[in-house]
Amino acid sequence: MAKAKAKAKKADKSNLSFRDRYTKKHVKRFIVLLGIYLVLFDLAFVFLYPFITMIIDACKSEADLVNRTVKWIPSGIEWSNFKVAFEGLNYGKYIWNSLFVTVVATIGHTLICAFIGYGFARYKFPGKGIMFAGVILSMLVPTQVLIFPQYMTWSSLKVLNTFVPLLVPCFFGFGLRGGFYIFLFRQFFLGLPWEMEEAARIDGCGFFRTFVQIMLPMARSSLLVCAVLAVVWHWNDYFEPSLYLNMSPNLSMLPTKLPDMYAALGQLSSEAENLPDIGADVIVNQAICMASTFLVILPLLVIYMFVQKQFMEGVERSGLTGM
Amino acid sequence: MADKNAKKKTMTLAQRKSLEGLIFVSPWIIGALAFFVWPLFVSIRLSFSEMISIQGFQMKWVGLENYKYLIQTSTTYMPNFLAEITNTLINTPITLVFSLIIAILVNKDIKGRGFFRTVFFIPVLLGTGYVMQQLLGSGTNQVIDLPEGLLMTLGGDFAAIVTEFLNRITEILWKSGVQIILFLAGLQGISSSLYEASRVDGATEWENFWKITLPLVTPIILLNFIYTMIDSFTDSGNKIMSDISHCFTTGSFNQGAAMGWLYFAFTFLLCGLALLIMNRFTFNQGER
Repeated sequence: MAKAKAKAKKADKSNLSFRDRYTKKHVKRFIVLLGIYLVLFDLAFVFLYPFITMIIDACKSEADLVNRTVKWIPSGIEWSNFKVAFEGLNYGKYIWNSLFVTVVATIGHTLICAFIGYGFARYKFPGKGIMFAGVILSMLVPTQVLIFPQYMTWSSLKVLNTFVPLLVPCFFGFGLRGGFYIFLFRQFFLGLPWEMEEAARIDGCGFFRTFVQIMLPMARSSLLVCAVLAVVWHWNDYFEPSLYLNMSPNLSMLPTKLPDMYAALGQLSSEAENLPDIGADVIVNQAICMASTFLVILPLLVIYMFVQKQFMEGVERSGLTGM
Repeated sequence: MADKNAKKKTMTLAQRKSLEGLIFVSPWIIGALAFFVWPLFVSIRLSFSEMISIQGFQMKWVGLENYKYLIQTSTTYMPNFLAEITNTLINTPITLVFSLIIAILVNKDIKGRGFFRTVFFIPVLLGTGYVMQQLLGSGTNQVIDLPEGLLMTLGGDFAAIVTEFLNRITEILWKSGVQIILFLAGLQGISSSLYEASRVDGATEWENFWKITLPLVTPIILLNFIYTMIDSFTDSGNKIMSDISHCFTTGSFNQGAAMGWLYFAFTFLLCGLALLIMNRFTFNQGER
């Protein structure tokens, strides 16, 4: 319909002179569009710049790094950087720790926070206001303030240097940004119409079954948004794992290995700093550092590539303005 | 038995509903007691006392001593504190403005918006942790080099502001991924019928922005404001946060707790103030 209309318009205009065809309005619209693209490309460049530099630096060979003329296009991909980084991080071993914690914590956060968020969105019960204030407060209080008492609690339970302190709070709506997810789900469920649940309840469906079979499938998009954010944040979490797991090198996770890597390479480069001119070592280390950083975030990039479309759709449907 | 049955029957619908609600939030209640209220209490108590022995948590109440030390004696705390507060107060509004602009642009029906959305989400993938710190710290944040001649003509003070702004901008943009997402979600929630109606009435896009878009995203602005403040206050690159971690690893728990609470109290005050001010301007669709 719209297409046919556009065609008709075009045919109409083909008889007109250039001036008539491109009126002031058209020119104005074109300029606005151009401006939008200009701004977007500018911003996209700023967003991508550190990321691109990382990848390019990671691919550079010694000669490329010393050579000042090589900024954007390295002479070839130096695979040995990645090899050194891979071995230095003990990637093949620690990736499994990272994956395990991320997957379990994400499942916990996504499902439990949906459950809790639904309760806050749909029910009235005594103390609800105070409890929701508590959720907000748990978002506001930084982990660093609470970390010591928490550490002591875990230590008295003798579960330090296991994954327990990282995983268990996730199943109770706490842990890394747990309050944020509860808030997200509450907003989403608030925006849903009541009819589906009422119909289910009238047909004799219990409250738990209503939630699992009716509401959860409807919340698919929000579940995905929550899951993607949880995966990203758990994967990159550095503070808590470095504290709770510092005595058991077997359980280290990739982001906690990264500073070790940097420190080791930094030592090399600080020795080299005493040399009169820029030693090749310093810059080679830069390449390896970037290669290891890239390796650490690579799984996230792969995951995001697969869910990107659904994620954005989920964002669009999360109904946040219905506050 | 009969008594119990009778009691069950007297439970009204409202009571049963509230019981179901409590069941839904029960994981949170348990979690709050175990992982939040107790540590919160211990941490507050720590900040007001002196540790005698770490075994069994023997503490002596010293009142405001720890806080006094931080404010009056410590040479690093107050400067860091002020620096971080200024930092947050400068970064937060810029973050909000930029993320709203980006979200509006990306929300438009233009070619390649999928690409732009992906690009603007990349920094979120890198998290706020160590990886991002490394990437931003390794000199890669100086995207734009201004020619020196231009800076000279601008004059000292102004040039300093401009370069500072440009140095900041990557960091700010990189930390606004989540905010963009939230704004985008909010913009999508605005019914298109409003825009259609205003177009019929002959409103321009500029008027649409001020009269429709902005009022309707005010709740998200509030949410984003708080999120940004918290994010910036608890950022792992934050000097106070690393000081606190340092205190806990070296064993000066009381000071660490006091540092945390003094800082947090101020954060909370700022957020509360923001809530109070912005609540007056926040437009809730539900209220009509």
